[in-house]
Amino acid sequence: MKGALGRLLPEAWLGLLGLYFIVPLLATGAFSLWEGGSRYGFAAYVALFHQPKLWQSLFLSVRLAVETILLGLVVLVPAVFWLNLRVPRLRPVFDFISVLPFVVPPIALVAGMTALYTGPDWLVGTPNYLVIPYVILALPYTYRALDLGMRVLDLRTMTEASQSLGAGWGTLIFRVVVPNLTTALVGAALLTIAIVMGEFTFANILLFNTFAVYINYIGQTSATQASALTLLSFLITWLAMLGVLVSGRGGRSVQIGGAR
Amino acid sequence: MPHLEIDGAVKRYAGKTVLHGIDLALGQGEFVSLLGPSGCGKTTLLRIVAGFERPDGGRVVLAGADITDRPAARRNMGMVFQAYSLFPNMTAEENVRFGLKVRRETPAAQQARAAELLALVGLAEHARKYPHQLSGGQQQRVALARALAIRPALLLLDEPLSALDAKVRVQLRDEIRRIQQETGVTTLFVTHDQEEALSISDRVVVMQEGRIAQAGTPAEIYGEPANIFVARFVGAAAELRGRVRDAEAGLVELCGRAVPAVRARGLTTGAEVHVLLRPETVRLGPPGAAEALLEGVVASRVFFGALTSIRIEIDGGFSLAAAMPSAEAGAVAQGSRVSVWWDGEAPRVLAAE
Repeated sequence: MKGALGRLLPEAWLGLLGLYFIVPLLATGAFSLWEGGSRYGFAAYVALFHQPKLWQSLFLSVRLAVETILLGLVVLVPAVFWLNLRVPRLRPVFDFISVLPFVVPPIALVAGMTALYTGPDWLVGTPNYLVIPYVILALPYTYRALDLGMRVLDLRTMTEASQSLGAGWGTLIFRVVVPNLTTALVGAALLTIAIVMGEFTFANILLFNTFAVYINYIGQTSATQASALTLLSFLITWLAMLGVLVSGRGGRSVQIGGAR
Repeated sequence: MPHLEIDGAVKRYAGKTVLHGIDLALGQGEFVSLLGPSGCGKTTLLRIVAGFERPDGGRVVLAGADITDRPAARRNMGMVFQAYSLFPNMTAEENVRFGLKVRRETPAAQQARAAELLALVGLAEHARKYPHQLSGGQQQRVALARALAIRPALLLLDEPLSALDAKVRVQLRDEIRRIQQETGVTTLFVTHDQEEALSISDRVVVMQEGRIAQAGTPAEIYGEPANIFVARFVGAAAELRGRVRDAEAGLVELCGRAVPAVRARGLTTGAEVHVLLRPETVRLGPPGAAEALLEGVVASRVFFGALTSIRIEIDGGFSLAAAMPSAEAGAVAQGSRVSVWWDGEAPRVLAAE
């Protein structure tokens, strides 16, 4: 009796945990379909999809996510490359900087940014300004993904092997390093998407109408539409996470050496 | 004119000198090993030749041209590393073609050369496999093919066998030698394994604390070690303390007895010396044998297959090892008394420090 119970306990525990996550989602889903009284249907979704502001905010967030990914990778790939190749002793410093966004509250960051609210017109006063804090927010995830990818690759040996064969830095980076970092790069990109799609504090305080700000706005005006939108945003984040998991299992790209 | 000339190479790290002005020359087609314990500077010297480290003094001359300041990518040297260094995103063939692609050779020429090299290392049928589908030994062979594909002016091997298991190591070692002789490429090989160095090289350079302790053919290094460090590092030898009894006659005194050692000639009578005896030069016989120089008791026997190593406690406190064919060693029982002798040419005599 006790043995059977012991065997079932982990499953029961997992099941409870699953319920803890799934019940609120189901409730949100059910509520988003509620049309008042005992009527259910897709009215909230239809109303939502007919609002141009939804699409504007969604496209803005997607655009910011793409810009954040590009800026983040342009800054971080060479930095992490250099860290691994030439200055591994600075790793603790990089590690420390990379977790600062966890320690410094976004509200403090945004206060600092508004104080420094100067720069060229195409940056300041446009949503592009958000890309800077977003790169910082995504730093813990992107840095770690890239660092792990490069550590697995044995960058120093790869670099020296390609140099001894006559390759320059360009060939090294584009033919050797980047193709072997696809998993890390995709992971970093998808995590960035997940973060940017859900970021609220910066956009709201700097008065830009991103997807998360729009969810908040809808939440104050229509409860069922807000539920629908929450599910939609959850779906986007969830797909990004699924992408991270799937690309991490790709195998070949991070596989190196070793007898089989 | 030597093909490669290292001229007074000096290297310091954080104030510590790891190479003290190394001079070394390699002839065209020569296979030279840098042998020494870890930290002796052999890898640093190789990396200076490869262009991965800059010497703090001295220069590197290849085929008459000073290449000390030339970047690694423009030195045209093939290199095989200790760590597996194949590019994981490329097949074996693509790895071999990499250097040719960089040199903008035509695809047809790349393909032909890759096929030729993969056949040379015996991996023609594995051309389309990725590194993770190959064993460690196969990966190192592909790395060798990749290094040779560019027709390097010099082949550099940085302990390429040390990550492999014993059997594969011996196979690949012999294969490296065969391929080197077939291609005639001048080769610099770094290893801490004396057996590897002795079996594969035209010349062995033994390094100690950033200096060359001795350079010579494998037979010279083994048979005529220049000092006690080389003698200890290369091969096994009993190390007996004694003094020169008669320099003119070539006699040294061990355990109070005068024994012949031709190499004591020319030293000073009465000088303290180390007498080194290789196990295979030590002869054993029944007590009281006519040739006997010393007598002792068999302390232990270790069977190594073809040979058996016999440790003898010599009367008077020394201990030495004799290696004899296992077929003959059966007669020498543990605990039995034996007489010990050797040919007067056999002992190496080095002045004690």
